[in-house]
Amino acid sequence: MRTYALAGNPNTGKTSLFNTLTRSYEYVGNWSGVTVEKKVGTLLNKIDRLVDLPGIYSLNPLSRDEGVAANFLLTESPDAVLNVIDSSQIERNLYLTLQLLEYRKPLVIGLNMIDVAKSRGIRIHTDKLSQILQVPVIPIVARTGKGTDAILEQLTGMPTSIETPFQLDYGPIVEQAVVACASYLDNLQLELPDTRWLSLQLFENNTAVKESLARMMPMEPLEQLYRQTEDAIVQSGAGLHLPQYLRSVRVAYIQQLCEQCVDRGKQKEHSLTERIDALVTHKILGLPIFLLFMFLLFKLTFDWFGQPVSDMLDAFFSGPLSDGVNQALTALGASPFTHALIVDGIIAGVGGVLVFVPQIFMLFLMISFIEDSGYMARVTLVMDKIMEMVGLNGKAFIPFIIGFGCNVPAIMSARAIEQPKERLVTTLLTPLMSCSARLPVYSLFVGVFFVSHKAIVVFSLYLLGIVLALLLAKLFTSIFYTSEKSMFVIEIPPYRLPQVRSLIRNTWEKGKGFIRKAGTFILGGSVLIWFLSYAGPSGFGVEMDHSFLAKIGGLFAPILAPIGFGTWQAGASLLTGFMAKEVVVSTMNIIYHAPDMAGLESQIQMAFTPLQAYSFMAFILLYVPCLATVGVIKKETTSTRWTLFSIGYALVLAYIVALIIYQGGQWLGFS
Amino acid sequence: MKTNTIALSHAQPGCIACIHSISDLDSLVCRRLLDLGITVGSEIRMKRKSLFGGPLTLESNGQLFGIRKQEAAKIEVQIR
Ligand SMILES: Nc1nc2c(ncn2[C@@H]2O[C@H](COP(=O)(O)OP(=O)(O)OP(=O)(O)O)[C@@H](O)[C@H]2O)c(=O)[nH]1
Ligand SMILES: [Mg+2]
Repeated sequence: MRTYALAGNPNTGKTSLFNTLTRSYEYVGNWSGVTVEKKVGTLLNKIDRLVDLPGIYSLNPLSRDEGVAANFLLTESPDAVLNVIDSSQIERNLYLTLQLLEYRKPLVIGLNMIDVAKSRGIRIHTDKLSQILQVPVIPIVARTGKGTDAILEQLTGMPTSIETPFQLDYGPIVEQAVVACASYLDNLQLELPDTRWLSLQLFENNTAVKESLARMMPMEPLEQLYRQTEDAIVQSGAGLHLPQYLRSVRVAYIQQLCEQCVDRGKQKEHSLTERIDALVTHKILGLPIFLLFMFLLFKLTFDWFGQPVSDMLDAFFSGPLSDGVNQALTALGASPFTHALIVDGIIAGVGGVLVFVPQIFMLFLMISFIEDSGYMARVTLVMDKIMEMVGLNGKAFIPFIIGFGCNVPAIMSARAIEQPKERLVTTLLTPLMSCSARLPVYSLFVGVFFVSHKAIVVFSLYLLGIVLALLLAKLFTSIFYTSEKSMFVIEIPPYRLPQVRSLIRNTWEKGKGFIRKAGTFILGGSVLIWFLSYAGPSGFGVEMDHSFLAKIGGLFAPILAPIGFGTWQAGASLLTGFMAKEVVVSTMNIIYHAPDMAGLESQIQMAFTPLQAYSFMAFILLYVPCLATVGVIKKETTSTRWTLFSIGYALVLAYIVALIIYQGGQWLGFS
Repeated sequence: MKTNTIALSHAQPGCIACIHSISDLDSLVCRRLLDLGITVGSEIRMKRKSLFGGPLTLESNGQLFGIRKQEAAKIEVQIR
């Protein structure tokens, strides 16, 4: 078994290629920084492994996701590297290629996006490029799979070592120093990657390399060599400092290479991209267009598509399915306990959440569209000014948007933010984005209380989340930051019309998590809640008001009274909502003992007033990140303190906001 | 020489400029621009500005990118 690593600049189609070569469905999107962890897959030959890595511009990492890729190459020593290049940006991409060639592992170059290059009038002489660099160069279109067979063939037929390693001449001063450095490293007799490559990376001031070497050896001799070499370079007038000099040698080589291998012909502009951008990043219209787009998203999810289909599903669950199960259970002679467990517990709890599948898939479809079209990078541009005012940068909006789907991948995506403190604040605030799991709660309540304004009410909750995140960002950044400077440089990809196939796939990949949750957390939660509602201090089958659930929920009722829902039912559902926020709806289904959605709606209508309902929804939005989100916050911050903080501030915030809504609303005369 | 250079932030949309100096630029921003292949001598075209001093959209070598106006103010360019 051999291991191959995918490496290349961000957004060049590495994951698209990975998916075709391993038949996986990893996350693809049209912006830089989609992949933030390494992903391992088995190649189509069923023997070898392929590793997908985050995109990098050079081997010297700046952000955390880049660190993952650089460290992989440094420590894990793959058998060969598959370098994916965006052909329409070949010159810039070749910079990394040179560093990978110096890495001296067998290399295959996949010239991706050949279709884009062609449409822009760029022609690349692959044979010549391959001949000069002495590695196979294969033109491909990763998103359609064109040319990927050839890649597979090349990779698997690769020799394990290279005969004539690529070597760039950096001039006498550096070459001498490299020899000295390499022999110093060789003499240590450690398991290291190619020492010429390591030396060059050291001279480039590669932080990942330095850190990893510092763990194994004293760095003083190497630092001294670095200073000597730099002095010599500066004195000779060849460069301002050593890294810059090395870069200039490489860039000169690439320029010469491109002159031989790339025909630019007449480069055409992206006329479509130009026209769309003129509108969506318009000075004045940019922000309103973004808000309109979000509003349409909710219209589609709630009014036009999701709700009607959900209603149909609900009719099926509560009608034919329940009846069928009821009859079957009676026919089988099931005990009243089993009967109640299945019908009142599982079907009510899990079914009550599954009816929202259409809405959630619609939402994910829209988010996938934003991700794959290229709009994401534009949103960061439109939002940057506002984000800057609160101490973050436009890139923090990427986790926020992904967070509308699910907070877990959203928090992961914050890895692409360069400044550690900005990343921390973004991580802490992302749970305020209203994810799809809150959607069933909204859907249930707006369906009862705000029938004629569904989309606008839900939209207001999403906005509430964003606005609070911005206000808190201001607060947090002014407390935590001392000196760190905010920065923002964003690469803006050309628009790409998402393929229907990949949209559906992306949507499914996101949505299936919801269905899986229904089978695990929600099922488990429903059974537990049903049991607690069925059992009480006086035995089984008690009146629900005397059940354990009522006792537990009742503990919270007095605290919740000032914010509008001081009932044991609300207390109990909030408690269970920590597992996964959909469980709130399952719990209500079970507690209110509703045979179907209509039944639940009428029950809820009696239990809440519209103002209380709104306060409840806002509380659900804010009160604590779900269990999975807490897990990922812990993983990303590697700090128990911050994890607890994220729970604590959310609880306090939720209470204050709900209090303002309820008391303020009453004062204004709403009910 | 100094006389015919201006700050990139003052360039008008549509105009093409050649980077003359980036010595005042924050090192992280500088590094990210280098990653995109942009450094002294690169040709860039101003595409769009935004209101209230928001980020600028620029293009270099067919690659679109955005940077903040404050940053662009520290990039000296010569207008073609
Ligand atoms: N036109 C065209 N688009 C492509 C091609 N390959 C990939 N894409 C698109 O390019 C975008 C980026 O693809 P990804 O596979 O996510 O790129 P990546 O290199 O994994 O990106 P990061 O993980 O951010 O580094 C997606 O929108 C793809 O659909 C191609 O050959 N032609
Ligand atoms: Mg990727």
